[in-house]
Amino acid sequence: MRDEGAREDKAMEKSDTLKFAGREFRSRLIVGTGKYPDHRSMQRAHEASGAEIVTVAVRRVNLDRTQESLLDYIDAKKYTLLPNTAGCYTAEEAIKTAILAREVGLSDMVKLEVIGDQRTLFPDNEELLKATKVLVKEGFVVLPYTNDDPVMAKKLEDAGAAAVMPLGAPIGSGLGIRNPYNIKIILEAARVPVIVDAGVGTASDATIAMELGCDGVLMNTGIACAKDPVAMAEAMRHAVIAGRLAYLAGRIPKKLYATASSPLEGMAEL
Amino acid sequence: MVNGKKLEVTDGATITALLEELNINPLRVAVQLNLEIIKRERYDTTLRAGDKLEIITFMAGGSE
Repeated sequence: MRDEGAREDKAMEKSDTLKFAGREFRSRLIVGTGKYPDHRSMQRAHEASGAEIVTVAVRRVNLDRTQESLLDYIDAKKYTLLPNTAGCYTAEEAIKTAILAREVGLSDMVKLEVIGDQRTLFPDNEELLKATKVLVKEGFVVLPYTNDDPVMAKKLEDAGAAAVMPLGAPIGSGLGIRNPYNIKIILEAARVPVIVDAGVGTASDATIAMELGCDGVLMNTGIACAKDPVAMAEAMRHAVIAGRLAYLAGRIPKKLYATASSPLEGMAEL
Repeated sequence: MVNGKKLEVTDGATITALLEELNINPLRVAVQLNLEIIKRERYDTTLRAGDKLEIITFMAGGSE
């Protein structure tokens, strides 16, 4: 058991942290706040996930229930808030939403989403790039949600994105990492962290992303809509650590035929 | 109009007064008045009939 703890520490040791825009995080898992059965289970899932960054949506205060606040369930000392521009379909909407979010005064980071299609929720890359350029100029830490296109990822990085966040699969689909080869190509070229955002359905999906060499994984539905969100959050925590460790450890090459792991010499005469 | 809803506000009331009346913690919201963002230092701005106010905050959400 002690060994296990020591190894877990290794993946989280100071030298191996998620860094972007001058900030440093020990956890490589970023979680959402949406779709949980209730605020309490969300709070417990966050705890179990070990995440240090949580995403939030930017919306009108509900005038009928002004007493209720999501922020009562997120310890500001423990978690960094990452407001998103979910629901925005143009660069203009996304920029305005990001500016309003910063005005709340709790975060200058933005998970930039500009959606291009309602059914797939795939990003509108043209608008996304436009919004990234403007918000970077405005001094935001911009984390754009993009598709798994290496050319686009590069353009976003060149525009000043603090990290790029390619999707594994459509938001909420749980289909996992649909194109690991594209993610790999994005990783090879990127000089900013690559965080897989969307598509993770279960623990192995998160592990695959991390084994590819991704710097982090962002998920919401995979945890929040699991039968037991708290247990799934814990599973995801381990999955991300396991994938990271495996990546750092360096996997063996895949071979078609067997290679014995016991010596062939010294066998008894039978 | 506040967040798309018609609301009776005393003429000459400030944003601060309105937030208080609505039980809203000013440190957790951003306010936009007639499409212009109002900084917290300017929450003493008085409201007039026909003003359009947006009070936004952080809500549960991950993506979309």
